[in-house]
This record gives sequence, structure tokens and C-alpha cells, in this order.
Amino acid sequence: MAAGAVSRLSRLLGQSRPPRGRPMSSGSHGEEGSARMWKALTFFVALPGVGVSMLNVFLKAQHGEHERPDFVPYPHLRIRSKPFPWGDGNHSLFHNPHVNPLPTGYEDE
Amino acid sequence: MTHQMHAYHMVNPSPWPLTGALSALLITSGLMMWFHSNSIFLLVLGLITNILTMFQWWRDIIREGTFQGHHTPIVQKGLRYGMILFIISEVLFFTGFFWAFYHSSLVPTTELGGYWPPAGIKPLNPLEVPLLNTAVLLASGVSVTWAHHSILEKDRINAIQALIVTISLGLYFTLLQIMEYYESPFTIADSVYGSTFFMATGFHGFHVIIGSSFLFICLMRQLKFHFTSNHHFGFEAAAWYWHFVDVVWLFLYVSIYWWGS
Repeated sequence: MAAGAVSRLSRLLGQSRPPRGRPMSSGSHGEEGSARMWKALTFFVALPGVGVSMLNVFLKAQHGEHERPDFVPYPHLRIRSKPFPWGDGNHSLFHNPHVNPLPTGYEDE
Repeated sequence: MTHQMHAYHMVNPSPWPLTGALSALLITSGLMMWFHSNSIFLLVLGLITNILTMFQWWRDIIREGTFQGHHTPIVQKGLRYGMILFIISEVLFFTGFFWAFYHSSLVPTTELGGYWPPAGIKPLNPLEVPLLNTAVLLASGVSVTWAHHSILEKDRINAIQALIVTISLGLYFTLLQIMEYYESPFTIADSVYGSTFFMATGFHGFHVIIGSSFLFICLMRQLKFHFTSNHHFGFEAAAWYWHFVDVVWLFLYVSIYWWGS
């Protein structure tokens, strides 16, 4: 009788399935159709947000190409403790001659 | 035929841990040779052997899991722990760079003028491209969640579409950052401002490229029917990594781009 009770108990414990009996893996506690929700969020919220930000950048860029600041040979800037391991050792990796002066000044002046 | 009496994976002997370690040695010593002895050979050799190791090791894992059935639930649990621990180690890695940034920016030295940003530094406007970058990564977090739910709901086409959107956003972020790096009026050599800025954002960008590559592999695997609705840990690991990359960016944006400007 005890054995029967134990087996009935363990069968009860083993019954804890989600409704509908469809196995749900971890992290999926959304109901059916939540992929549709995330797809809607992607196309109606997230991507339009990117679009608005793109517009903002475009408008701000049109507003004015600012004058580049005068060259001041500050000792804490354009540090060259050792040469860069490429080129002539004096240009940073993303060097832009228009906005990045060398320690001696802008290259295109 | 003998069978194992447990659900764990007794991995066959593999040369990849050794080749990986050797490639790490070649990369580190190669960097030293490049910096100090004007020779790039060792570094290139190290990078090639590193990429080959990664390709072959992970290919073997896919074979063992997807094709040979070795990834039982308990094995998968171990892989989950592993990925979580790895991401935690990456969080600590970035913590170092954030520490360096706050150390220098909270108490700016007299050499910098006693203020932050230092004298002569014109920081990037946080409301222009950096804000767009934030929108791009947040959007990619939404699309990768769409991808996950599609996989769970056995929706093959939507999973593929969502992965393509996510990867495209990742690539767009990378392109925007490269453009920002080129247009930036300050360089890595411009005081500790440049050092902290480019080390933190540079490593972040590197991680974006890694995350995008991981997601791309997931797209290839999804196209080849590797994932099922209840077993797709490779994808989950990629999605976790991608969310981590997104969160690091948010910290970067608030700390360096916004507060630090």
C-alpha cells in the first residue's frame, strides 16, 4: 500500500507540465505569438528610432562644417613617446590630415 | 559496442588547445617584434594560426553537438555555465578600462589644465553619431530577441530575417564607428583623454565585430537546419554575448561620450 502511495505521489509530481503540454525551453516564458510582438517592435519602434537618429545626424551635419581650431602646441597632446609601428611613425592609425595636426602643426597649412 | 553509463561528454583528444596556446604565444611575441624590432612576420603567423584554431575547434564542437548528439541536457548546462563565466570575465576586462577612465577624468591633473575634457580637446557631440550608434545597438537587441522567439516557435523564415536584420545593424554600427574614428579631431596620442577613449571604444568595437561574426555563424547554421526549437544553445550564447556588447556600449555612451564631454 505504501508502495502504491509512493508511485501515485511520484506520478503527481511528474505531472507538472505547462498547459497544452508543449515543452518550453528556458527564457521562453512568452506565450505563442511573442515572436510576432518582437517583430512588430523591431519594425515599428526600433528601426524607426534608428531612422530618426539618422535624420538627426544628417541635419546636424548640414547645419555647418565648423572652422577647425587653431593649432596650439600643448605638450600633453600629440604625444610621441615612441614612434607608431607603421608608416613614418608619426601618424596615428586613423589619421585625417584635415582635422589631426602633427606635433608640428597641421599638415595642410 | 561499448556504451558510456552517464550523460557527460568524454571529449576525444584534440590538437586545438595546443595550437591555440601556441598561437597566443606567437601573437604576444609577434606584437613585441612588431613594436620593437620592426618585423610583422611572427604576428601575422600568430593571427593566422589563431583563426585556424578557432575555426577548427568550434567546427568540431558543432560536429560533436549537432551531428553526434553529445550535447545532452547536462552537457548543455555546463556550456551555459561556461559562457556565463566567460562573459563575466569580459565584464571585468572592460571594468579595467572604465576604471582607468574615471581615475583620470574625476581628478584631472594640472598638465591637462585641471579640467576634463583636457585643454585643446574638443569631444564628439554625444547627440550626433554616438546617439545614432546607441539607437542602432538597442534596435539590434530587439531584433535578436525577435530571432530567438522565432526559433522557439519553429518559424524558420522569420528567424533568418531577424538574424539578417541584427547582423546588418551590427555592421552599420561598425561602419559608423570607423567613420567617427577617421573624422575625430583627437587621436589616441592626445593625452590620457585619447588613450582612455580609444582603448575603451576600440576594444568595444572589436567585441562588436566578434559578436557580429558569432551571429553570422548562427545565421549559417540556421540556414543549414542545425537549430531546433528546444535545442539551440549556440544561438543563445551569441544572443547573450550580443546583449553584453550592447550593455557595454550603454556604459561607454553615458560615461565617456556624455558625462565625459
